[in-house]
Amino acid sequence: MIEEVVQQLLAEALNVPLDQIHPDLAYGDLPEWDSMGHMNVMMALEERFSVEINTETIALLTNVPAICAYLKEHSHA
Amino acid sequence: MPELTLTPIVPIPDFLIKEIQSKLAYVDETVSAAAISSNGDSITLTLRHAIDANTQQAITDKVQRVVEAMAKNARRLRTQILEDYLDRPVAYHADPMQALLERGEVFQEDTGLFTLGPILTNLINYFEGIFLDLAAKFGAKPYRFPTLIPARFLDRVNYFRAFPHSLSFATHLREDLDVIEDFAEHTHCDCEGALTTPTSSFAPIQTLLSPAVCYHLYFSLADRPLPGGSLAATAVGSCFRYESSNLVSLERLWNFTMREVIFMGPQPYVLEQREAARQYMQTRLAETGLAYRVESANDPFFIGEFRQQAIFQSAFQLKYEIRARLPFRDSTLAVGSYNYHQDFFGRNLNITLPDGSPVHTGCVAFGLERIALAFLAQFGLDADQWPKAVREAIA
Repeated sequence: MIEEVVQQLLAEALNVPLDQIHPDLAYGDLPEWDSMGHMNVMMALEERFSVEINTETIALLTNVPAICAYLKEHSHA
Repeated sequence: MPELTLTPIVPIPDFLIKEIQSKLAYVDETVSAAAISSNGDSITLTLRHAIDANTQQAITDKVQRVVEAMAKNARRLRTQILEDYLDRPVAYHADPMQALLERGEVFQEDTGLFTLGPILTNLINYFEGIFLDLAAKFGAKPYRFPTLIPARFLDRVNYFRAFPHSLSFATHLREDLDVIEDFAEHTHCDCEGALTTPTSSFAPIQTLLSPAVCYHLYFSLADRPLPGGSLAATAVGSCFRYESSNLVSLERLWNFTMREVIFMGPQPYVLEQREAARQYMQTRLAETGLAYRVESANDPFFIGEFRQQAIFQSAFQLKYEIRARLPFRDSTLAVGSYNYHQDFFGRNLNITLPDGSPVHTGCVAFGLERIALAFLAQFGLDADQWPKAVREAIA
């Protein structure tokens, strides 16, 4: 399931335990998901799913459901 | 002066040339200036003195670290333009600094430090009147803040990580009679203007010169709910950002003055106020005749955070700069900005809204010396050539 992969990726990119990543987690919910954390997440998504996330989209992918929906539509990995 | 020319580890894209060039000033104390070729494939450093091969290699390595951190995998950010009045007619096309210096209207005390005479002071007061009108329109409460700021405040908002290169520190002699008497008897300035006192005479640094105005307001409200749930405030203050060899004329001062109108509250309130402030200023700046453009921008983060933070600020449309035209150089100068910080200060300083969520903040900031300089760059020192509204207001 892509949701599980995304949650695992978030935990690694934000450097927090997996049990802190719940299915509705959003930007700002954890101190680690700040501006730098968000950009780490975006870069990890690009690398893991071979997608190029443009600047406008970066502002939309601010929670787990939005990230999963985006990947389902754009990722071929 | 000796030079060191090298090829960057990756080609520097055109949109990063100015940004990387400014950061190269901090690479090594030997470097007095840095220039990047227009195609981004060559860097030339001007050195204060000749260096040996080992030093040359060390400097080259540091330059490549900067280039790799900022240019590798960099992406061109789309510039969003909200207003464009750069084609407004201007009456002057020379660099006003030469005339200001000749007439004694500015006096340079040291690098980045200038005394301003009546022309600039009157212009600053004129623009201040407009900014105070802006503040009044939003019912902004007046505040006064100290020039010094505690280190622990800046540490709490990660300022040291984001902008270490531009910090200015304040200290004093240790409370020790021997140290103080020794200082009084023996200290003088060396030929470069540096105090001869050993650094061990100084107390540990707990205070800095403030780099911004609005931080003081946020710190004063830390660790409690925001009274009333929203706040508009205004203050003017001295700000300090050390910019090394980038300190040029009045365009880039070490010690400058900033007027801010600050908004705190829920996200919609802050964003609406920021936008309303921009629209109000659009009308008021038209009166001044100033040729300018408002466009998306990013803060001058240091190399470690630059690439990611710049993309983040662009993606979330956090910063727009008022860039006034400098006709003599065919370029622009940032004279103000419209900023939104999301809930960064609310989260880091634990300032909450009535529902317990962190407060959002934003500010509108104007560099007073810069806007006065930009005006003179467009209209000259002869008041007869100034737009009527400015001429009449100052007369």
